[in-house]
Amino acid sequence: MDSTKTVCHLRVNGDAHTCAVTPGTTLLEALRYALALTGSKQGCDKGDCGACTVLIDSHPVLACITLAMACEGREIRTVEGLAAHGRPHPLQDAFDRTGGAQCGFCTPGVLMSAIALLERDPAPTREAIAQALSGNLCRCTGYTKIYEAVELAAKEMRERA
Amino acid sequence: MLTLPVFEWVRPQSLDEALAFFTQAPAESLWIAGGTDAVPNLKHRLHEPKRVISLAGVRELHYVREDDAGMHLGALLTLRELSEHARVRAEYPALAKAASLVASPQIRNMGTLGGNLCLDTRCTYYNQSYFWREALGFCLKKDGTKCHVVPQGKRCVAAHSSDVAPVLIALGAEVEIATPPAQAGGAASLRRIAVDTFFVGDGVHNNVLLPGELVTRLIIPAASRGLSAGYQKLRPRGAIDFPMLSVAAAGRTQAGAFTQLRIVVSALGAKPRVLGQLDALAVGKAADEAQFSAIAAAAYKQCHPLINVPYDHEWRHEMVPVFVKRVLRDAFPKG
Amino acid sequence: MSEPKEPNAPIDAAKSVTEGRRPETVHSDSGRKPEMVVPKGRIMPREDRLAPPAWEGGRSVAPNADGFSTIGKRNRKVEGLAKVTGRAVYADDITLPRMLHAKLLRSIHAHARIVSIDASAALAMPGVHAVITGKDLPVYFGIIPWTEDEQALCETKARYVGDAIAAVAADSELIAEEALRCIRVQYEVLPAVIDIDSALEHPEWQVNEKAETGNISKQVRLEFGAVDAALANSDEVVEGHYWYEGSTHAPIEPHCCVAEFDATGFLTVHSSTQVAHYLHRDLAKVLGLPTQRVRVIQPTVGGAFGGKSEPFSLEFCAAKLAMITGRPVKILYTREEVFYAHRGRHPMRLHYRTGISKDGMLTGTDAKVQIDGGAYSSFGLVTTYYSGQLLGAPYVLPTYRFDSTRVFTNKPCCGPKRGHGSVQPRFAFECQIDKLAERIGMDPIAVRRKNLIGESTRTVNGMRVTSNGFPQCLDAVEKASGWKDKFRRLPYGCGIGVAGSMYISGTNYCIYPNEMPQSAVQLKLDRSGRATVFSGCSDIGQGVDSVLAYIVCEELGLTLRDVRVVAADTDLTPVDLGSYSSRETFMVGNACLDAARHLREKIAATLAERWQCGKGEVVLANGVACCTSEPREKAMTVREAFQLAEAKHGTLGSVGWYQSPKLGGDYRGGTIGASPAYSFTAHVAEVECDPETGQVRVCDIWVAHDCGRALNPVTVEGQMEGSAYMGFAEAILETMEYKAAAPGHAFGLHHGPSLLDYRLPTSLDTPRLHSIIIESVDPEGPYGAKEAGEGPLHPSVPAIANAIHDALGIRCDALPFSPPSVLGMLRIGDARAAWEAARAGFHKTGAR
Repeated sequence: MDSTKTVCHLRVNGDAHTCAVTPGTTLLEALRYALALTGSKQGCDKGDCGACTVLIDSHPVLACITLAMACEGREIRTVEGLAAHGRPHPLQDAFDRTGGAQCGFCTPGVLMSAIALLERDPAPTREAIAQALSGNLCRCTGYTKIYEAVELAAKEMRERA
Repeated sequence: MLTLPVFEWVRPQSLDEALAFFTQAPAESLWIAGGTDAVPNLKHRLHEPKRVISLAGVRELHYVREDDAGMHLGALLTLRELSEHARVRAEYPALAKAASLVASPQIRNMGTLGGNLCLDTRCTYYNQSYFWREALGFCLKKDGTKCHVVPQGKRCVAAHSSDVAPVLIALGAEVEIATPPAQAGGAASLRRIAVDTFFVGDGVHNNVLLPGELVTRLIIPAASRGLSAGYQKLRPRGAIDFPMLSVAAAGRTQAGAFTQLRIVVSALGAKPRVLGQLDALAVGKAADEAQFSAIAAAAYKQCHPLINVPYDHEWRHEMVPVFVKRVLRDAFPKG
Repeated sequence: MSEPKEPNAPIDAAKSVTEGRRPETVHSDSGRKPEMVVPKGRIMPREDRLAPPAWEGGRSVAPNADGFSTIGKRNRKVEGLAKVTGRAVYADDITLPRMLHAKLLRSIHAHARIVSIDASAALAMPGVHAVITGKDLPVYFGIIPWTEDEQALCETKARYVGDAIAAVAADSELIAEEALRCIRVQYEVLPAVIDIDSALEHPEWQVNEKAETGNISKQVRLEFGAVDAALANSDEVVEGHYWYEGSTHAPIEPHCCVAEFDATGFLTVHSSTQVAHYLHRDLAKVLGLPTQRVRVIQPTVGGAFGGKSEPFSLEFCAAKLAMITGRPVKILYTREEVFYAHRGRHPMRLHYRTGISKDGMLTGTDAKVQIDGGAYSSFGLVTTYYSGQLLGAPYVLPTYRFDSTRVFTNKPCCGPKRGHGSVQPRFAFECQIDKLAERIGMDPIAVRRKNLIGESTRTVNGMRVTSNGFPQCLDAVEKASGWKDKFRRLPYGCGIGVAGSMYISGTNYCIYPNEMPQSAVQLKLDRSGRATVFSGCSDIGQGVDSVLAYIVCEELGLTLRDVRVVAADTDLTPVDLGSYSSRETFMVGNACLDAARHLREKIAATLAERWQCGKGEVVLANGVACCTSEPREKAMTVREAFQLAEAKHGTLGSVGWYQSPKLGGDYRGGTIGASPAYSFTAHVAEVECDPETGQVRVCDIWVAHDCGRALNPVTVEGQMEGSAYMGFAEAILETMEYKAAAPGHAFGLHHGPSLLDYRLPTSLDTPRLHSIIIESVDPEGPYGAKEAGEGPLHPSVPAIANAIHDALGIRCDALPFSPPSVLGMLRIGDARAAWEAARAGFHKTGAR
């Protein structure tokens, strides 16, 4: 039934990983179940909600509709890669302080879309934030506190830079 | 999680290699570029290929070039690249806008120009899981014999849902198609046709591509430079959704009167509809609100939304003239 | 109180209004006026929780204006950093050694007898370990003990498209899915009913054999006061027909569970549930295990909103398959299956007649309600009561009657969605008030002010109201929205509308009758200076775990990082009934306060003895214990204080619990809607409508909510904004639609069970949300706190409907306010003339 598994080399958050996948293994399944990087979430099965958003070569993509094998040779970043040296990333800290995460299930995907935005636009308007997060459904917050978190993070990251 | 079926996966590094892979098993292979349409469809068992050929490694189809013939757009440009490209935005802002309105930021990072052009047609009775379609009794586009949109219909009317196609047609663009060699080791051939003639009115397979053929580039001819163009998309939400109705227009005016006008309406049936009678209705006439209304009224008569996409089809019908007027106001603001 | 005469005889409620009073003035006349607190900065100051605590030999952080060190401050949540770093463990993040994956086979028919099931081919497949059917799990269950009408897998009959009938455990999801296709089910298709009318017209096509009769799930008729006379004597009576469309919770996390059964015969189920305790009971019952051999663990839950508040097929099936195979079994619902599990908002058809006097006093309401319940009971018995029990307040409604009927239909079962059962009547009632205000030429806010029920009072149906900040809520949204400059003054297409509501802070009854506590906490203090709170409460993102931590911090002088919360694990934590009816902050908060104060008392006594001061002089705050008279000389860390207390009293631990007082009307059903405290909300919504397309853009919603006291304003605002968002979504976008037109197979098929076709608003669709916290300081809530999770949803929909009327002159009485329906209404009669008349009428009488 299962087709034969093949070895797949994935570079995730700067680490080189090797895992066994089939052609039908999505990047999300490889991350979550083969590499135990369960931070990226599965919400809708097929690219409608954004909970699985990860960065590939700095751009947010949907891991649940990306084939794992197509990611060989690419630079993948997930929520686990944001914190450094045991400290949360300023964006993560801002989400915690503003209440940007309630149930937290959409949060990893939202964070990845937001970090991609902040890396290309360090001072985004609220409109730009709303546009950048328009592929990430949040069911808890009504988005307001998410905007506040991104704005706070942008401010603090600018101050730090 | 909704699973993907079992298939073989190959990742050619060049166009020739890609075509050769397809030639080995033409009826059982599926092209996949960004995957944003194909992967959900695979999860729904709408495609059941033995082999999936990834085009991600074919870097040669990834470019924007300009020459005397016009603007050349590689089929593997992502929709984000297309929407953000400075030259595209400067010359053909309506095309950049259409690309920027596709789905969500993530999907525009993944999805490609060629993929959006070749988007599978969509229908509320088709884009569903295997279980759902089994409960429905399937439909004539996949696994069944009956159309649930037009109960007596013999032809699938699933909706053409590409955002870029209506603009490309309005702009008079051409599509370059690569045909695999007749036998292994032979040379692939390329042909060009107008995007207008690329689509056919059969929702099961709504374009002229033969098995193994591939869209390699879009060409907006030099003659289209300076066209005034616009694009309007009707959708329930500000993001993610496919169009419930889309309208593109491109034309020219001289001294306030149309010298040329093309309007394309889509998300109706299997192919975009190029409005007829515009030579009579528009050319030589003032590009003003009164004329926009006359054109909109003609559009209302020519376009017939179906129950294949969400929201009441009669309301969508009423939106045809509204959106035709809006796109004309966008494209010809001085009118 | 009147005699219990339900269901048929109306209740003479003349006596029950004796304690009710009609305030003469706008503001409540009680001595203690709720204060209005509008937070200035919404973002908490940057306190680095990872840095070591400051030691200044005294109180390190100044108490706030109310004298609290933790309560009322903008704080982090205990699990916040785990969530934002991706470390929080949700059910599907659990993978156990040798774990199998299971999938459910679901009915392709809306209504069919199961003649036979042949699973032999599936069982023979390599990688398939077990197949179960209804015969393996025959015991009926149901969240309400009086209406147990569900089986984990249908044994004889499937009642909707998607009803579960078999389950397969296999090495992978893919194999399990392929195996499902090899199971042969022979069905005898039965006639199906998929709407209220056909369910009532065809009692012989009975959906659910446990129905009262035909397809009647529950009927409730209650009458309070002389309604007919009141309406007959009213200056104006408005009659309205309303349709509230069904919608679903759609948490982003799909339901998931992992079950393991060990060699000693002990079952453990990890599940994304919001009612671990009820799941525990039903698992034991259905699987035939003693309850003490079953453990339910709730991992981090990715949203619930009422959608995970009862047991589902997956939990029983995973457990049974784990028992059969001896291996852990995971079931993760696909998004499509989440739509079939449903338990969302009931569609309701409401017919209202409401009267008013010329000077704006409400006289009564006669309500007839029909409720579409789907195939099973779920909480339906309670839903039927809720369709009328919270009707009047926050206004004085001297008389009313409701006659509600819930019917069974061949669709996924409806249940409790945020604001269970009372959101739909609130929509109708608040629209009625808007229409009445227009009829008598009065400002709709003024009408609401005229009828305020006030504090320390009782509603006509016997609900005890204590604290009440509704007048302040109205004031706040009126001011913040610029109401006076906008109402009936905005250009055509733009409009503004208001609505109010009241909601419970928990019910005063457990779902199964018993005399035990509704909430409990065990608290353990450690000589290391750490506290651990154990409670069965269920954090589903709303922050109840953090509420417990804030209370412990406040009472024992700890900082947030020194408190650990262990919650919702039936082996480790005392029972809390779960996260529903907005009960957690109030009930488990009180339980926690009880436990913490026991320990605080011991520590304070120890320190008073050591310092030779009064117990009242001992302060515990922010990691420091000190004596207020000599804070520098008599001070130590709380860790040292804990050690002193431990040396004196022995190991430090305490328990606390909460049991609500007996409440409610003295009639059958009179306890439903009875709560120890009520929250109050007012919304103003501003819309921009496109008269050419019918598209309504909700630009802003101002939400003022009386939560008693905001234990953490950040999380309270989050609940308010999330509620307003969810109400807006129901008003404009979200519908549970089923295919009815296509004959044969498609009958009763969900229109589009995916997050593409069921449209949650994106960031680009959601209005600007402005939350204003009102604190009335409830006499019984923990530090005065009341609920904030569900109440603030209620006024969303009617405020938007009333705003659309202000914008376009049309009355949106049927949900959703989608472009086709709005445009359709604009075509009926002369809507523009109605708009101008409403405006002229208002300006003629002035803003009364």
